[in-house]
Amino acid sequence: MAEPSQSNAELMSAALDEQLAPEEAAAFEEMLAKDPEAAEEFSQLRDMLALVKNLPEVEAPPDFYEKIARKVRRRRMFQGESFLLISVPFQVLSVLIVMAIAVTYMMLQLDRDPAAKLQRDPSATQGEAPPHGEATPEESPAE
Amino acid sequence: MSKASATAEEAPEADAAVEHEREPSGPVGPESDEERRRREQDRRDRRLVKRLKTGDERAFQELVRTYQNRVFGLTFRMLGNRAEAEDLAQEVFLTVFRAIGSYRGEGRFYTWLYRIAANTTKNRIKYLKTRKYNQHSVVLEDSPQAQMPAGEGGSDHSLQSQIPGPEAVVRGNRLQQAIQRELAELDAEHRVLIVLRDIEGLTYQDIINITGLAEGTLKSRLHRARMALKKRMEQHMR
Repeated sequence: MAEPSQSNAELMSAALDEQLAPEEAAAFEEMLAKDPEAAEEFSQLRDMLALVKNLPEVEAPPDFYEKIARKVRRRRMFQGESFLLISVPFQVLSVLIVMAIAVTYMMLQLDRDPAAKLQRDPSATQGEAPPHGEATPEESPAE
Repeated sequence: MSKASATAEEAPEADAAVEHEREPSGPVGPESDEERRRREQDRRDRRLVKRLKTGDERAFQELVRTYQNRVFGLTFRMLGNRAEAEDLAQEVFLTVFRAIGSYRGEGRFYTWLYRIAANTTKNRIKYLKTRKYNQHSVVLEDSPQAQMPAGEGGSDHSLQSQIPGPEAVVRGNRLQQAIQRELAELDAEHRVLIVLRDIEGLTYQDIINITGLAEGTLKSRLHRARMALKKRMEQHMR
């Protein structure tokens, strides 16, 4: 069967959709009367469309909204305010832990570094020095 | 792995330009019931959108309940697989929830919603194609029983209600399954037009607003889509 021309196709679609003005509809009927092939095609299309239009209506499942609401909540949790509510305490806690580790490390380093210890407590070295007047082997004059 | 959803260029933000929708043209005269119903729906949608923009979750619930069957219907008819269609319909509403701030309210809300649904579904079809999605699931899932929510009877609009007799019921069921199966085999661009026009019953103007097609293109493409479906259905209708 030959493909209908562009204008015929549009005309046929419009006729199937009952969108033709009365004079156009009359011209279309006349065209069909002259062209049995087009008339046959039109009739088949009309039958098929009647089937398509009578397909049963489908309904979403009864819990359709609840499922969407769950997805919205889940997405909000990872994108929105709820995520902030959860993440902020964790962030604060992480900063505090890092700071505590840093302070402990610094304290330990200070205890190990004698120069820093001296700066902190000059008397600390005096107590360790030999008693006044006693020369250390290095300080004793060469005999 | 995340599934295909509306891409940036198809996202509602980018579609704002298309929002300058023309009102349906028609003879000026007394308002029909259909026009009145649509105007009332538009008013209700505008109120819902306003509430939704302020973060009102009840408005979102109302919106989902209002449109869930239509969006699910579109995704199901285009994909032919109930589970996939449900997941996709949820994705559509999540996109609406996320993008509602960018909706400027210049066009009809439901055309904006349908545009998201159509684009998201087309993307999913492409994604499924690349994964060699088994569309034969359609055969098992398109029976009228599978389309109904659990515990509910058939639709008043079903074919069976129109054709009397057990043989006719069987034939009606078979044809319905065939239509759904063949529809799911069409090109995505053709599927969307048949679903929007012939199943959802939207006007040409609404479809133009949803797809962005010119009127002539829409008409000729719709005709080609119907011809393609007719050709596929010939073996079943003999």
